[in-house]
Amino acid sequence: MPGFSLKNITRRIKPIIVKEFRQVRRDRVSLFILLLLPTFLMLVIGYALNFDVKHITLAVYDNDRSSASREFIRGFGNSGYFDMAGYARSNREIDAMLESGVARAAIVIPADFSKNLLADRDVAVQVVMDGTNSNTATSALGYINTIIQTYSAGIRAKFMARKGIEMYVPIDLRPKVWYNPELASAKFLIPGFIGFILMLSAVVSTALSVVREKEQGTMEQLAVSPLETMEILIGKTVPYLIIALISSALVLLMGFFLFNVGVRGELAWLYVGIVVFLLAALGQGLLISSFARTQQVAFMMAILSSVLPTFLLSGLVFPIRSMPWLLQMLSNITPTKFFIVVIRGVMLKGLGPEAFWRELLYMLIFAIVTLAIAARKIMAQRMAA
Amino acid sequence: MRIIYHLIVKELKQLMRDKRMRFLALAAPMIQLAVLGYAATTDVKSVPMVVCDGDRSSASRDFVSRFTNSGYFAVEDTVDSPNEIDRHIERGNAWLALVIPPSFSADVLARRTVKVQLIADGSDANSSNIAIGYATQIVNNYSQEILLEMLEKTPMASKPARVIPRVRVWYNESLTSRNFMVPGVVVLVLMIVTLTLTSMAVVREKEIGTMEQLLVTPIKPYQLILGKLIPYTLVGMVDVTFVLVISAYWFNVPIRGSVFLIYGMSCLFILNTLGIGLFISTIAQTQQQAMMIAQFGFFIPFMYFSGFIFPIENMPHAFQYVTYLIPLRYFLEIIRNIFLKGAGMDTLWPDALGLVVLGVTVLSVAILRFNKKLG
Amino acid sequence: MTAYAIEVDRLAKVFGDFTAVDHISFSVRSGEIFGFLGPNGAGKSTAIRMLCGLLEPTSGRAEVGGFDVVRQTDDLKKNIGYMSQRFSLYEDLTVGENIRFFGGVYGLSSGAVKERMKWVVEMAGLKGRENSITGTLAGGWKQRLALGCAIIHEPPIVFLDEPTSGVDPVSRRNFWELINGLSEKGTTVLVTTHYLDEAEYCNDIVMMSAGKIVAGGSPKELKKRHITCQMLELQADDVVGAMESLKKEAWVRELSLFGIYLHVGVDEAETGAEMVRRAVTADGRRVIRIEPVTPSLEDVFIHVLGEKGE
Repeated sequence: MPGFSLKNITRRIKPIIVKEFRQVRRDRVSLFILLLLPTFLMLVIGYALNFDVKHITLAVYDNDRSSASREFIRGFGNSGYFDMAGYARSNREIDAMLESGVARAAIVIPADFSKNLLADRDVAVQVVMDGTNSNTATSALGYINTIIQTYSAGIRAKFMARKGIEMYVPIDLRPKVWYNPELASAKFLIPGFIGFILMLSAVVSTALSVVREKEQGTMEQLAVSPLETMEILIGKTVPYLIIALISSALVLLMGFFLFNVGVRGELAWLYVGIVVFLLAALGQGLLISSFARTQQVAFMMAILSSVLPTFLLSGLVFPIRSMPWLLQMLSNITPTKFFIVVIRGVMLKGLGPEAFWRELLYMLIFAIVTLAIAARKIMAQRMAA
Repeated sequence: MRIIYHLIVKELKQLMRDKRMRFLALAAPMIQLAVLGYAATTDVKSVPMVVCDGDRSSASRDFVSRFTNSGYFAVEDTVDSPNEIDRHIERGNAWLALVIPPSFSADVLARRTVKVQLIADGSDANSSNIAIGYATQIVNNYSQEILLEMLEKTPMASKPARVIPRVRVWYNESLTSRNFMVPGVVVLVLMIVTLTLTSMAVVREKEIGTMEQLLVTPIKPYQLILGKLIPYTLVGMVDVTFVLVISAYWFNVPIRGSVFLIYGMSCLFILNTLGIGLFISTIAQTQQQAMMIAQFGFFIPFMYFSGFIFPIENMPHAFQYVTYLIPLRYFLEIIRNIFLKGAGMDTLWPDALGLVVLGVTVLSVAILRFNKKLG
Repeated sequence: MTAYAIEVDRLAKVFGDFTAVDHISFSVRSGEIFGFLGPNGAGKSTAIRMLCGLLEPTSGRAEVGGFDVVRQTDDLKKNIGYMSQRFSLYEDLTVGENIRFFGGVYGLSSGAVKERMKWVVEMAGLKGRENSITGTLAGGWKQRLALGCAIIHEPPIVFLDEPTSGVDPVSRRNFWELINGLSEKGTTVLVTTHYLDEAEYCNDIVMMSAGKIVAGGSPKELKKRHITCQMLELQADDVVGAMESLKKEAWVRELSLFGIYLHVGVDEAETGAEMVRRAVTADGRRVIRIEPVTPSLEDVFIHVLGEKGE
């Protein structure tokens, strides 16, 4: 094919890139937002967000008020998970505290608590849980169960000591956590956040780029042949690609210095993953661009197809395995899911391409397919214009 | 005022005429809700687990079955040696690995402590935490049973007492995260639609040039503003209706409170989002800028810091004060409480007040800026 | 209303350290077509915006229709019509919807709107196309529709900012017929344009350059005042070269490129033509045609700018 040597291609793409760059550079507001805000956000997120469930407000209604019951209650306070919301003096008070939200959980200790325990009789303790936030409620219940189990174990130990039986622990479970021994939320959130940010910058900016030309009637710029159209599209998106790369570099640096989130694996592979992912995201953006007629529509499509799904479907925050099968299939549509595998693989697990080549391949295919469809559509529209 | 009426009619016509816009403004929120209602689950169930059973006795199989029977775990694969575990965890096939030593049954019989290893993939900190918690509980119960069995075999009259928790869960008995998340998604979708539509609608007029044409007519600034705010409030209300219907009838999320209250509070919330949209339109010169600002300056911070997923109580104290500036925070609380607790104004008024104060402030600032920019 | 529809007194607009409009003063009589000429960037649009109450002047005063542009903008806007340079109707609404919208916005009763709708549609030649989407119309129709919407409330004063830019010549002429029609009915029309040939249709003109008014008067007056010589039009094989040759001659009064022809100003037509022919052929170029031509406003403008040393 004449004119499609690498030299010629770069010669044609360069002015487009330069023009696009100039336009972007003049738009100080957007630049500021694209470069600085992600870093700032990441800072705040790393600092403020974690998955730990603590400070659960607990109300207690102690009908027994013995040393045993007090010891029982202390177990909760000492656990570090609960904040004592107050001591109620009636069931009605407990209800009120739960209804008003003053307490998230409540323990009601029966009057015959210590009496039964002394007589080696099982005793039932009421636990009331505000289930509105199921996540914290589940964790809280888990803690409560564990604390009660521990208390019972203590009773058992004393019992066995009394009877002169040797106490031992039948099964000793040793949990060992790989990749993130402290289970630090930051290590989990930050790689995913990078993907999130990149996805946003790439998709939404490119989604508007072509539509803008449509609205302003400058579509004639786009050339006649599909390959040339592709060149132009790529040329348009390169500046955003570069900006997104810079942004991600900043986020990585910030994550490393402030939150100790380092890259265990090869940095080079990390960037390969990022570039491929960006291509896929750009492809998605351009695809949207080719379908939308106004910038308003393009923006909405971009947001709805990238922000929310990325946030919720890509496994970023919610584990995909817990979702219905259909959705697990759907989650394959957003390239973010695969990118997260790659980025977590490199950053946290120190893995190499053998582990995630499939994901890389998928993103590449996604990129090519979306770019091709976008180019086709835009060409068709240009012809009709 | 007739002028406002005409402005509203024009805006709505423009909105409805564009097929895609029609779809996006009305249908997309529903679809989003449908999809995300399913996706937004933090329930940790069927955690994929790899088992390396070195003993392969009936005792060890029984032990493993405790995990699978709980419903929390699903055995993905069984391997013969601990070395093969690496592969699974690296690939992410399994989150956990259970390593049972060959001496399992022998140790239990001989009343020796058995060391069972649990390997967890820490890269998903939240789920690992919860999974480890479940595993620990299961193991503790199993240990307890062994001890009790042992005690039964020795001749004595009594057993040690146990404290048994009787758990009652209020408002969300099944603890389905969906009941928690769906109201949140409703709020989120509403915010995105109204905020986007408003900010871009105004900027678009600027970009195209019709703004100038409007300014030359006797239209007063407040009429222009109302002409932009009211149509999108209406759209927002329609969206609220749609998503309410889906939440209630498709997802079976209980709506225990008053529906009127939901509409009323939604109005207050939309007041806020429209104000923000208007504000953005006074800063942005182009629609692209409007989009950038909306996204990075509002959507993302709101999603992360409003209590949508990460509870506010767990944030550092100093930061919690900042969250008071996020309208989403109040509205989430309100919606969740109305849905699940059937709360009324008597408990909701502080959050409602927050929304009002915030909304009035934002709108005032936005309107002032808007007027200034016009002159 | 007074005899003057628009009175402007030392109006100025400064943006930072850039003076867009530099203390201009002029008056427009009721019912006349008033032309605002000048190249792009001369300050025409800024001036018009101030007169419409869209932009606040840095200094100076202006009264439009008897209303002060700064202090009585509400009344001002009710009494003027404005058509901007960029086509600014709603492309996604139909013709009818646009008309109804602007009718409503100007406070016309629904009965009045119906009446005016008929008129606008007729005037714009869009009968039967009321339900067409505005964006699908060709440029010329859109301009007329925009005009119709701008004057739907029959204002006594109309501002048209480059109304014919980007429109084909036939439509341009039709448009000016419309403007003439308006003027005949007593409407004052203020038009800005950078098409100097259109300016011939105006009753009175001011020429702007770099924010200042460099010339003013009726077309006839301007030509008489500024062009005191005879104008010849020269067609040569190498126009630029011919220009070079003539530049050196002292008896050349005016010299400018006019498209592909050269306009030469001389004292007397016949002798002048000879002298031109000699000068051009002396340098080896060929004269294809040379003949006297009535001076145009473009000649005036170039002369005026030349005087001011631009």
